[in-house]
Amino acid sequence: MIKTKCLRKTYHLGGTDIHALDGVDLHIPKGQFVAICGASGSGKTTLMNMLGGLDQPDGGSVEVDGHDIARLSHNALARFRNESVGFVFQHFNLLARRTAVSNVLLPLEYRRPKPGDHKKRACRALNDVGLGDRTAHRPAELSGGQQQRVAIARALVGEPRLLLADEPTGALDSQTSAELLELLVRLSQQGLTIVLITHDKEVAAYARRVITMSDGKIVSDQMNTEANTKLAS
Amino acid sequence: MRHFIAAYVSLVSRPFRTLLTMFGIVIGVAAIYAMISIGNGAKKMIIHSLDGINTRSIAITPIWTENKASRRTERRPFSEADIEEISRIEGVESVSGENSKEFSVAVPGADLKVGIDGSDAFYLRTKSMTLKLGRNLNETDLQSKALVAIIGSSVAQSLFGTNHPIGETVKIDKIPFTVIGVVEKHETNLSSRRDENKFVLIPRTTARARLMGGHASVKNHVEGITVIFEREQDFSRIEDDIEHLLRYTRGLLDSDKLNFRMFNFAAARNQMMQVQRVLSLLLGSIGTIILIVGGVGVMNIMLVNVTERTHEIGLRLSVGARRSDILWQFVIEAILLCGLAGIVGLGLGWGIIAVAEIIGEFKMDTGWSVAALAFGSSLFVGLIFGYLPARRASRLHPVEALRHE
Repeated sequence: MIKTKCLRKTYHLGGTDIHALDGVDLHIPKGQFVAICGASGSGKTTLMNMLGGLDQPDGGSVEVDGHDIARLSHNALARFRNESVGFVFQHFNLLARRTAVSNVLLPLEYRRPKPGDHKKRACRALNDVGLGDRTAHRPAELSGGQQQRVAIARALVGEPRLLLADEPTGALDSQTSAELLELLVRLSQQGLTIVLITHDKEVAAYARRVITMSDGKIVSDQMNTEANTKLAS
Repeated sequence: MRHFIAAYVSLVSRPFRTLLTMFGIVIGVAAIYAMISIGNGAKKMIIHSLDGINTRSIAITPIWTENKASRRTERRPFSEADIEEISRIEGVESVSGENSKEFSVAVPGADLKVGIDGSDAFYLRTKSMTLKLGRNLNETDLQSKALVAIIGSSVAQSLFGTNHPIGETVKIDKIPFTVIGVVEKHETNLSSRRDENKFVLIPRTTARARLMGGHASVKNHVEGITVIFEREQDFSRIEDDIEHLLRYTRGLLDSDKLNFRMFNFAAARNQMMQVQRVLSLLLGSIGTIILIVGGVGVMNIMLVNVTERTHEIGLRLSVGARRSDILWQFVIEAILLCGLAGIVGLGLGWGIIAVAEIIGEFKMDTGWSVAALAFGSSLFVGLIFGYLPARRASRLHPVEALRHE
């Protein structure tokens, strides 16, 4: 489903070149739950941005379902993000003045053509994450865990093929984190491809596969046998 | 539509800032609306003031040349020959000459001082007047120096009241004249205290022979000539022809100053209009400058807005907003801001006009087109000054925008 070849990205900071990505080759089959680990500055967030079409590489290719998204125009990339990808961020990134349901339907506002049942879809997405009774609440009236579930509903409402989560539990307590990760596992079991960025081994343990990065390179790539046991416990 | 809702929500969520930003636009729109309305009102008043006056006419009167009083040449009148010559100029419809003086006009039991106009059959036409009763002067009246009179409606009213005046006798300076016609009441809006319907018209030849006497140096003298021409666009050519002709008959060299004056209402009106246009332009420019300054205020606030909402822009880009979506979102927000200000500005402008009407005692022209122009200019300012900040917003890099705190 996702294939990157020799992916490179260099940032120029204060006269020195920082190789955020230094030749990353990666293959993620459809429906896999992958955690990308690494210390800060290891290039994991840059990799996620490349996979989600938020940023474009200096070299190499990113193929999603056979299409090289590194070569897409601005508008085609926007369409790709809208239709194929859902993002979940560490700090939820909800619009404070909008209600939960209004936040969730934001991606559908940019869908062309705009689906006629967008409100219904947003409510369904909120229901799926267990917030069917919180649709009219504003972010400030929701707990951290609830806010992040609104963000997940927003990521899922457009029925993407790929969910990209950047430290989704970073701002949550351990109990809430566990609930959220279990939700991601369930979604992956339903066939959704998930890439989870984290620096926390505990969090990575929920994934089927754990990739570790350092200095813009993949340093280890292991299948996680504990994943199922972690869920069962 | 969704952009409008988003823009509206964004504006009402910061009411104080929105109001402050609107202020410049409100004043600008009010100024433009009020100034153009006042200007148009003045223009209409100028045009209206000449209602009932023939703009295809030239009034020619002799004047003193502008020498020192001691060396001033006398006011030299025209002659019957001048009238003849002028009537032959191409494009001239009719010419009438006029000698006037005030006399007492009396009937048994009533008399009054009235201006007596010694003229001809074309007098009424050149003054855009029509007969109400009786007949006009004719060639025979002039040749025979007939003692006949046509009276203005005010004179008819004063001397005869409701009685039928045709065939009655009036004594002008004790000479009996037979009334052969009454002129329809003539109304003009020209601001003049003189009652234009208070006159008596008699043959010019009779006036010279019986009432006003001849002139020492000019035989068959005529004090004033009015020319009516066929088409308004011929005005300057005919004016040139008349000047050329009169210079010749009056023995003036090309270097001499004219000792007569030609007056055309249309030309005078055009001069007034030009003054008014310059004034309107000046006032309109003031409004435009205020609007531009207001627009810069809008741009400033929109730039602040974009900076403050960088993170939100990043989020919108990440869920699939195109650059054009972001551009429109901010452009529409600026247009909506200016549009709201435009509506308030129209209200304020309307208030200014209402006050100006009371103080200035004249009717402003508050047409829809002026309101639409003033309102449209506010939207235009929104578009122009909103575009740059919106463009900046739309060019943000999604990753950098998301990282922005």
